[in-house]
Amino acid sequence: MSDEIIQIETPFQFNEENKREFDELIGRYPVKEAAMLPTLHLAQRQEGYITPAVMKYVAELLELSVMKVKDVVTFYPMFFEEPVGKYVIRVCHTLPCALRDCKVVLDHLKEKLSTDVASETNLAKGTTDDGKFTLMKVECLASCDVAPVIMVNDDLYKNLTPEKVDEILEQLPN
Amino acid sequence: MVQERRILYEHLDVPNINTFDVFRQYEGYTRFEKAIAEYQPEEIAQMVWDAGLKGRGGAGFSTGEKWSFVPRDIEPRYLCCNADESEPGTFSNRYVLEKNPHLLIEGILICCYAMGIETTYVYIRGEFTLGKKMLDTAIKEAYEQGYLGENVRDTGLNINIYSHPGAGAYICGEETGLIESLEGKRGQPRNKPPFPAVQGVFMKPTVVQNVETLCNLPFIVGNGVEWYTQMGPTYGDTRFDPPKADPNTGTKLYCISGDVNEPGVYELELGLTSTELIEVAGGLRGEEVKAVIPGGSSAPILTHYELDTRLDFTSLTLAKSMLGSGGIIVMNETRNIVDCLLNIMKFYAHESCGQCTPCRWGTPWVRDIVQRIADGEGRQTTITRPKFGVTESGRWGDTGETEEIYEDLDLLENVANNIANVDTMTWNTICVFGIAVSWPAVSYMRKFRPEFEAAIREGKLVTLPVAEATVPPEENYAYQQRFIPKEFADL
Repeated sequence: MSDEIIQIETPFQFNEENKREFDELIGRYPVKEAAMLPTLHLAQRQEGYITPAVMKYVAELLELSVMKVKDVVTFYPMFFEEPVGKYVIRVCHTLPCALRDCKVVLDHLKEKLSTDVASETNLAKGTTDDGKFTLMKVECLASCDVAPVIMVNDDLYKNLTPEKVDEILEQLPN
Repeated sequence: MVQERRILYEHLDVPNINTFDVFRQYEGYTRFEKAIAEYQPEEIAQMVWDAGLKGRGGAGFSTGEKWSFVPRDIEPRYLCCNADESEPGTFSNRYVLEKNPHLLIEGILICCYAMGIETTYVYIRGEFTLGKKMLDTAIKEAYEQGYLGENVRDTGLNINIYSHPGAGAYICGEETGLIESLEGKRGQPRNKPPFPAVQGVFMKPTVVQNVETLCNLPFIVGNGVEWYTQMGPTYGDTRFDPPKADPNTGTKLYCISGDVNEPGVYELELGLTSTELIEVAGGLRGEEVKAVIPGGSSAPILTHYELDTRLDFTSLTLAKSMLGSGGIIVMNETRNIVDCLLNIMKFYAHESCGQCTPCRWGTPWVRDIVQRIADGEGRQTTITRPKFGVTESGRWGDTGETEEIYEDLDLLENVANNIANVDTMTWNTICVFGIAVSWPAVSYMRKFRPEFEAAIREGKLVTLPVAEATVPPEENYAYQQRFIPKEFADL
């Protein structure tokens, strides 16, 4: 993917708050490239996912080729290249959670949201039709003492049972 | 019963300990002040070496020794704090970041003073949103109070700490992977040498330390080396007794999860046994211990025959396992080891960074073999070997000898050992991820072979009673041919 052939319909730009934050964090590193991950996090928070326009914008900010940005985006599971729901539900399914029946929680969520589990290459599969939720399985969330756990966007929920999951889903604003 | 010895976690549950004022009431930053007032930087480094502090991140390498490799004449030098805690079964750093971030900052300050470092990056796991928020607030407070920034406490030191979010890749917990990721690239580990101590982040000398290691520093400086070295295993006559020349001092944040009644983080002196630890954690949930993973999912499994192995760095190395990050996962008699291995192999197949071919292709292959066995489609063959003797017709000839071969188990061991060989401890990959894959794969399979064989034979997962599922130590070379590191060979 060279810079010239990317078709960008609507260009992306940081809003003022994010621009300020970016200006602050770029000063932390001796080379601009090092600000890549925090910058992508900022962009994803603003746009919802990493579009080609975002990549182009980040590449310009960090004085890199778009290819380099794409290279990084594809490596890290936390960056999405497709639209995701308003709430991203991450269900931990690694061994300590598995020993504490995370499968029950996952099955309950699948049934409740009537959706499948998203795969890394197909996020739409795990997104509900109304675009509110994306359900995905993730590896260890480092909270094995309070297993099973899920993360809904930035918040961690512990010691889950199907009833607790219902409560959490009800609390979420539309 | 073994008592908890809370040092790092002593004030963890004090309300508002995450604020500067409360932290200050509990001797906060006095250890750093003592360091700059009473000691030269080199003296601090020597103290850390003398205290026998070992890196708590996984490898258990001596911290003082690591610091001695950093050339002091190359500027600038960096400190990277590894808070990318993603080893399954490990969750102690999360609590430090969320509840007591000032302790980490104090540890960083001491390290920076000892090594003459001006810039520190704290690489925090992307999922630790709360932890990052708490740390950022604490860093801001420390700047306001004059413990960070230019001319710290009028000493002429300039120290800056920045938090840097990761983005969900397990491999970024490996030190060179972390450095690559920090530089804004894919987190693919680098070849060593050059070691990060010489050429690390931005190709400058870099100290990479785990959160827990850094949190130990204030207590070493504050209470002295002698106090610190008194904590640790007292050597008895257990089977895997560590040599005295190799210190295992201090406490460890043991994270215990799985089938225990009260999972959680327990801070205990190094060197207790698995049985004692399970007792501390409220006892076993279930009837019998089937297996214990002693150091995060990468560590070779311990069977119920090995529950008296001491959980310290040296004893576990001698038992051909490792303490790693101290993530202990307990499994009771209802667990199926094939199923557990499948879960872990899915993790590794997902998290391989894809840089080295043996790992990129080997990990999914291992996963597929285990999946096949778990699905009841494990391959088994009967082979006939030539064997000369008196045949049925009364003549001398080939009588044939048939042998049942569990083809998939041999294949599993073969593939895993070609990613990294667990017997010779050589790996065909750049980083130790390879050994982290083949260690569990091979050790589970060797130590719980009857359960794997049963799954293949019966065509479905069969959970055998503990005594039947485990291979006794005297029959299995997985226990006996212990890899003895060179430095221990003469002891």
